[in-house]
Amino acid sequence: MSLFHRNSLARRFLHHRTALAGLVICTCVLLAVIVGPLILPYGPEDMDFMATLSPPSMAHPLGTDSFGRDVLVRVLNGGQVSLTISFLAIALATVVGGGMGLAAAYHGGWTDVILMRFADLLFAFPSFILALLLMVMFGFSTSNIIFAIALVYLPIFARIARNSTLLVRDEPFVQAARLMGRRPVAIMLTQILPNISAPLLVQASAGMAFAIILEAGLSFIGLGVQPPTPSLGGIMSDGREYFSRAPWVLTMSGLAISVALLGINLLGDGLRDLTDPRLRERN
Amino acid sequence: MSQSDPVSGGSRSLPARERAGYRRLMLLGGKLLSALVLLLVGSLVVFLTIQAAPGSAALSVLGEQATPEAVAAFERRHGLDQPVLVQYLAWLGNALRGDFGVSLSIASGQQISSLMASKLPTTLFLGAYALVLAIAISLVLGIYAARHRGKTGDTVATSISVLGISMPDFWLSYVLIFFFGLSLGWFPTYGYVSPFVDLPGALHAGFLPALAIAAPMAAVFSRTLRAVLLETMTRPYVTAARSFGLKPRFVFVHFIFRNALIPYLTIIGLQIRYILGGVVVVERIFGIPGMGSFMVDGAFLRDLPVLLACTVTFLAIVVLVNTLTDALCSFLDPRRSR
Repeated sequence: MSLFHRNSLARRFLHHRTALAGLVICTCVLLAVIVGPLILPYGPEDMDFMATLSPPSMAHPLGTDSFGRDVLVRVLNGGQVSLTISFLAIALATVVGGGMGLAAAYHGGWTDVILMRFADLLFAFPSFILALLLMVMFGFSTSNIIFAIALVYLPIFARIARNSTLLVRDEPFVQAARLMGRRPVAIMLTQILPNISAPLLVQASAGMAFAIILEAGLSFIGLGVQPPTPSLGGIMSDGREYFSRAPWVLTMSGLAISVALLGINLLGDGLRDLTDPRLRERN
Repeated sequence: MSQSDPVSGGSRSLPARERAGYRRLMLLGGKLLSALVLLLVGSLVVFLTIQAAPGSAALSVLGEQATPEAVAAFERRHGLDQPVLVQYLAWLGNALRGDFGVSLSIASGQQISSLMASKLPTTLFLGAYALVLAIAISLVLGIYAARHRGKTGDTVATSISVLGISMPDFWLSYVLIFFFGLSLGWFPTYGYVSPFVDLPGALHAGFLPALAIAAPMAAVFSRTLRAVLLETMTRPYVTAARSFGLKPRFVFVHFIFRNALIPYLTIIGLQIRYILGGVVVVERIFGIPGMGSFMVDGAFLRDLPVLLACTVTFLAIVVLVNTLTDALCSFLDPRRSR
């Protein structure tokens, strides 16, 4: 039954134009970001003072910046840094936030009140401002960016996990597991988690886009990834200083962000359409 | 309800309505109270976070070579030698009277409240302008897409919104600056005009930054509006209204749009947080002297009282707007107050 179901989901995925387009773009972006830096002849910090601010050419397909560094190489390396940070941050938020929501809904009572009030409190802060505050307070290291983004995005996962858990908490199979004397942690992980993972994963794919924007915004104003490590926001921030002389630096790094976001958003939309039972009947 | 008091019979409607009004008032009071508690706890958490940060405020202001005596004198002058909770209560007492203390490193010794007096209206104006633009764009796109479902118009409108959420505000800012500012010369690309001095000028000068903040929001709003409208259109009462022969426009305004308004407003309330986040970056790009630029300056110079004042102010705005939209929704949807 579940195999058949999985087959049908895969088949519907391949017939869903939005999801397929998103998957293709995401795969291209991932391949470019992983393989590109390996095969290109420059490093992200290699400078060529003979060719500073040179426009796109055969040697430098996206031109060079003010230190003569190849923009394509920097964008690909920066993309790798940005995607890694965003992925780790969202993975952390999914695990911790999802766990919080699951525990809150399963135990109820004071656990529920305390955990969800904490999530509400985090949710009340404007995300960018909370992330900015955390960065200033705890320093501009890469691990702190991951923690800051995870903390900002955690309440959304907590909310979704809690709402989904409430729907399955009193199902017969959960009660059966409880009567068999299984420990709460085991019930949560083996009985409830498989039933709430779909909405969490859909949210995680949407969250990647959010995390990329947040990380790029922080690095753009100079409070995120610190130079010389390339990041998409950092490259854009460099590019704006000599935008009138070398518009390609800002434009190309901006386009790179947009392509990545477009792929993730299309994939997320497609996944939501495919997994939301309310939409399934009509489409 | 009718089973629980079968006696009240005909006179049920009036007392029930009075009771509903009373209950709604109580609910509103409860929401205000929980908003206040949230604000209080939130400001305490921000205060503690800033206290827990490594590094000393005295050393960052006086320089690393400051003598221990100078540090002690500085800490006594600013009350930094007191227990944390006492410091928080003192800060809270002052903040409630509109006094956020003095700036340490941005404008040394100046009152933060007098610095904020000119910056807060600037940011509120920009935020409100962006919100109005986002709502206007999303109403047009969302309604158009829903009414032309599956046709080319829908595809175009939906594609515009997917592109909209794929352009972060700071990147869109430069695209707008390049096309509308530098190439066409329609709008200024830098600087700020106060809306209290020259309203048309402020709307003109603020258009590009407001649009940069509004576009990603508009994309989210219009997608929500389209989805909600499409869902509402399939409801039985809409089919019933149509089969009564009511005019399509009437059905749309009174049966579909009115009911779609509540989830739409809820999303708008939730997205206020992102508008304020957008303000921070966009103010910096366009050189607008608002709360966002102020906070980023405070972040670079580690001006802790400024960071604290800005964060709590932003938190207060979000909590206030959320409470307002919540109240508006329960006004539009009486079922919520039951």
